[in-house]
Amino acid sequence: MSEFDRQQSELGDTDLLQVRNVDKTYPSGAGSGKGKVLDGISFDIRSNETVGLVGVSGAGKSTVGRILAGLEQPDGGSIRFEGHEVLALKGRQKKLALMPLQMIFQDPYESLSPRMTIEQLVSEPLVIQKVDGKDKQARRERVREALAEVSLSPDKYMSRYPHELSGGERQRVGLARAFICRPRLIVADEPTSMLDPSLRLELLELMNGLRRRHGTSYLFITHDIALTRHFCDRMLVLDQGSIVESGSTEQVIDRPEHPFTQRLIQALLELNRF
Amino acid sequence: MKRNMSKNMGILGAVLLGLIIILAVAGPALVPYNPTEQSGLPLQAPGGQHLLGTNDMGQDIMAELVEGARISLTIGIVSAFIATLIGTVLGLISGYGLGWLDALIMRVVDVSMTLPFLPLMIVVGVYMGPSLFTQIAVITLVMWAGKAREIRSQVLSLRSRGPVLAARSMGAGHLYVLRKHVFPSVVPLMIPQFVRAVNTSIMLESSLSFLGLGDPLSKSWGSILFYANARSAFLTDAWLWWVLPPGLCIVVTVLAFSFIGYWLEERVSPRLRAYTGAFSKLASGRFGKTKKPNPIAVRQPDGASAEVLRVEGLSVQFPQPAGTVRAVEAVSFTLRRGEVLGIVGESGSGKTTIAAAVMQLLKPPAEISGSICFDGKNLAQLSPVEMNELRGSRIALIPQAAMNALNPVMTIKSQLAEAMVSHRSIGKAEVLQRVSEVLGQVGLDPKWGDAYPHELSGGMKQRVVIAMALINGPDLIIADEPTTGLDVLVQTEIIKLLDDLQQRLGLAMIFISHDLPVVLRLADRILIMKQGEMVDEVTAEALTASTVHPYTRRLMDSIPRLRAKKAASVSSLTEAEAGGGSYVRI
Repeated sequence: MSEFDRQQSELGDTDLLQVRNVDKTYPSGAGSGKGKVLDGISFDIRSNETVGLVGVSGAGKSTVGRILAGLEQPDGGSIRFEGHEVLALKGRQKKLALMPLQMIFQDPYESLSPRMTIEQLVSEPLVIQKVDGKDKQARRERVREALAEVSLSPDKYMSRYPHELSGGERQRVGLARAFICRPRLIVADEPTSMLDPSLRLELLELMNGLRRRHGTSYLFITHDIALTRHFCDRMLVLDQGSIVESGSTEQVIDRPEHPFTQRLIQALLELNRF
Repeated sequence: MKRNMSKNMGILGAVLLGLIIILAVAGPALVPYNPTEQSGLPLQAPGGQHLLGTNDMGQDIMAELVEGARISLTIGIVSAFIATLIGTVLGLISGYGLGWLDALIMRVVDVSMTLPFLPLMIVVGVYMGPSLFTQIAVITLVMWAGKAREIRSQVLSLRSRGPVLAARSMGAGHLYVLRKHVFPSVVPLMIPQFVRAVNTSIMLESSLSFLGLGDPLSKSWGSILFYANARSAFLTDAWLWWVLPPGLCIVVTVLAFSFIGYWLEERVSPRLRAYTGAFSKLASGRFGKTKKPNPIAVRQPDGASAEVLRVEGLSVQFPQPAGTVRAVEAVSFTLRRGEVLGIVGESGSGKTTIAAAVMQLLKPPAEISGSICFDGKNLAQLSPVEMNELRGSRIALIPQAAMNALNPVMTIKSQLAEAMVSHRSIGKAEVLQRVSEVLGQVGLDPKWGDAYPHELSGGMKQRVVIAMALINGPDLIIADEPTTGLDVLVQTEIIKLLDDLQQRLGLAMIFISHDLPVVLRLADRILIMKQGEMVDEVTAEALTASTVHPYTRRLMDSIPRLRAKKAASVSSLTEAEAGGGSYVRI
């Protein structure tokens, strides 16, 4: 049994997502020679589980997220999501298969189109997926539901534009538009890194609340191990395109085995020693 | 202020254009003559039956002007429309489409942009025969390529923007992305493009006709001028009514479109909109609040000689149409040699404004009150030249995200040297020696001096920025968010470096961050800012031992801890625990 799933047998749940031997190479530019971004990544995410993907900048964390969200094609490997072999699917089938996999982006200022109202933004996934195509009222009802889920009052926010919202509110809109698809898995790429510290915890609590109510799984991509401690069940440590350590968050943080993880934790302890 | 001016220009342009359009549309009804028929004596002066006189063939000039307005506007608008349309469609396809298609379209664009306009006109004119249609075709042929290129570059940048990525991650197809996200962003750019194109084509048509390359039978303004010139209008007084009116018509039309274009461009410029948007957000949050006295007593220094910086009652306000935004209110602090002052607050709390005020970088309309004394001198009373001498040499600022602002085409060495030479005149050898010395101080091998910024990692660039601040041996360093955007490993390195440098060189330092743990690691004293006000001033020890002020406590509580050593004391947060994630509160 490989290192990364040393706990898999204990949990025994059906796997929501299975990633196997995913490689990604970028055409190396400017002679840096660092073409290989991901080198045989394998991991699983079960339903109702939050997994942290931790690494420093340039480790390939975001590439993992982008590949899962279908924004990039890996060079090889397999990705099974809810039993579908995602990489083999095309067009409409792929769209349907990936609907329960949604993404939250790092920058709440960049990812929302300034020309759309909050209602239009939150319903955009429904428009794209052609859900409730004819029934405007049903769609609106879903938007209200999704906004209420993220504690934004629908009456107050539906007709507003992103520039009228604070960073924390925008990130909630991002969460609402992920949630309107009733996702089984949300890939969150550093969703809190642009937020002020007090808003960070608010958003994480909100995400936790959604998980409790709906059993959603998260892949939480971050460089901050301390956040994973309080948010994630399991943790994957990514260094230079490979997963070097994985396990329950307590296990990894309290007894890190790989030298890179040890360095990471040492650095954080040093930063927060007071 | 500037907006109003551009709006007035827009109105003026619309009025001028309106006049020309009235001339073109209502002209035939007002002028009873046919421009191609002799209707009076040759070279009749203005007045009487012929409002603007006649030319050498006795044709009415006013009637010619009316005909000219119709031709100029038709050519201008039709060719601008076709050119903008072709340019937009090809720009969209090229910017969004596949690699080979893009390459193909762009090579065609390149070729057509190098086409020599005049010979082309002659060749096409000979081949197709002079006509309105030929002129429109040639002018369109000349203009579409530039439009395609501009639209393409916009689409390229839109393609990798957040909203497009978000839509694609939701499974959106290319048609959807083009229709909903790319095209709506391009339309506002097309309108000023179109107006400018109208302008260009009217100018092109006039110059062509004046040179005799247009349609010799048409009565465009340019050809009126061509005939006036060819038939010696300048030998008599006839130029007054034969040359001036068509010339003026061209000037007025081009000006009208220029003004309208200027105004439209100003209106759709996203940067301008973002600017006003940001301020309206600030204003809605905070205007009209009464100014409260600073609740914290100013600390008196024990040894005034060691005092580097003293800020007293500093307030900064930005007057806005919606009310005054108070960015900083009555902030006072002192800083002694070898001391590190942390300034902590969330976004919009005024941290960076304090730094800008100390550096005297705030420009009107900012209103600054209170005093800032550096080394006993009131900075507000220094002349701009004196302040420039202090800035960067005795007071150094490490601005936010400075590491991304290094000049990409200069070596590290020459950027550091530049920072030094701008403050004093010294020999080259001495400069280079100092550069390697500072690079050594920030832990970089001096060989990196020959590297360019893109060859360095984020952490190394941040070191270069610190070296740049150190190079003139400052007394005070203001570091604004120097670790933001760096990962934990690099953050730790940078903090260690700053700590080490500060102690070794005995610097006074102001360390600004939204990240309390980072500040705690370095600072002796910490100011807590909230919405422009200083709500707390504490020492690092006092802060970790027992936090008094509720806002400071909230900031402390929002730090996720790695080791949950105090997990037992969690009591207030029952909700979050249930889900498996719990946040540790002190």
